[in-house]
Amino acid sequence: MTKNRRLILPAIVLGIVLIVIAVIYFAEPAGSLPSFFPGHDAGSGHHHVKHGLLALILGIGCFVFAWFQTGPASKSA
Amino acid sequence: MHPISYLQAIVLGLVQGVAEPFPISSLGHAVILPRLLGWNIHQNDSFFLTFLVATHVATAIVLFLMFWQDWKRIFRGLGRSLRDREIRPDDIDARLGWLLVVGTIPAGTLGLLLEHPLRSLFASAASAAAVLMLNGVLLLAFERLRRRPPRPGDYLGDSDARIAKLSWRQAVAVGTAQAAALVPGISRSGVTMGGGLLVGLSNEDAARYAFLLATPIIGAAGALKLPELLGSQGNGVRGPALVGGLCAALTTYLAVRFLLKYFETNRLTPFGIYCLAFGFICTVLFALGV
Repeated sequence: MTKNRRLILPAIVLGIVLIVIAVIYFAEPAGSLPSFFPGHDAGSGHHHVKHGLLALILGIGCFVFAWFQTGPASKSA
Repeated sequence: MHPISYLQAIVLGLVQGVAEPFPISSLGHAVILPRLLGWNIHQNDSFFLTFLVATHVATAIVLFLMFWQDWKRIFRGLGRSLRDREIRPDDIDARLGWLLVVGTIPAGTLGLLLEHPLRSLFASAASAAAVLMLNGVLLLAFERLRRRPPRPGDYLGDSDARIAKLSWRQAVAVGTAQAAALVPGISRSGVTMGGGLLVGLSNEDAARYAFLLATPIIGAAGALKLPELLGSQGNGVRGPALVGGLCAALTTYLAVRFLLKYFETNRLTPFGIYCLAFGFICTVLFALGV
């Protein structure tokens, strides 16, 4: 995997944003989500757990990516 | 009165266990069979979805246990790479583990987003039969377009080392192809094995990679819906679901053992022909009002 240390900070920031989005999805019903969120549905009490899971997984993926970028430069692969 | 009888549960469980690892679409068969046998079961019935959760969880558990030694090595490899913050070129287990992760994320993402709309769109047995024919065409096309022909001795040596040579892009492509299996009639293992052939794997390596790749997705999908089986939605279904799950576990075990041996020397072609023939016969029967 090619290492690029300039990507570490953006990956961490994106990871944090995605985790925050996940928490919002888990905590807020569809009716209370910000209107620009996918799944926003005025008056709905449904929780978009799947959307939250998706954001959580992608957020963790960003952290893992950032973690590998901090490692020693690989010789190949 | 159970919404699914024990006999129905046994038949559906046995078929699920075979059709999940075989590249012939378990979901397609689960949609077609009830119609073909005149059962009052529809794929969007909540009790049927709950029943399917049990058979899928059983399939995932069997797949996980059958490759337990591999998963142990893969988990250790993932741990090593995280500790060292790099995937060493000689660490096949770590590389294979991350290829599986990279391949699972797009399929999981698409599955979470598209599962419900696609299930609603392709709900009928007639559409599943038509899509099953498409699955047959795909399987035949994969064999036709594969990057390299099968060679004697393909199955000798370290399969994981050959799989680990896949690039990240290829892993994403093969993993993403799994999402096509959200449509009843398209086989998850079929598109994954086909994807493996297109990126240069042998039939045996492609099958092994497909089974490893399928385990987390099927397991996660089942686990996500397990509360439905254990909650009030599972009332009246748990008994048949348990029986169906046990039947699925038995046939999954037998099917995977058979396929790993079969693909040492054989191809996807017979499964493609089966899907074309079965899909065509079912389409005609449904058109005639069966």
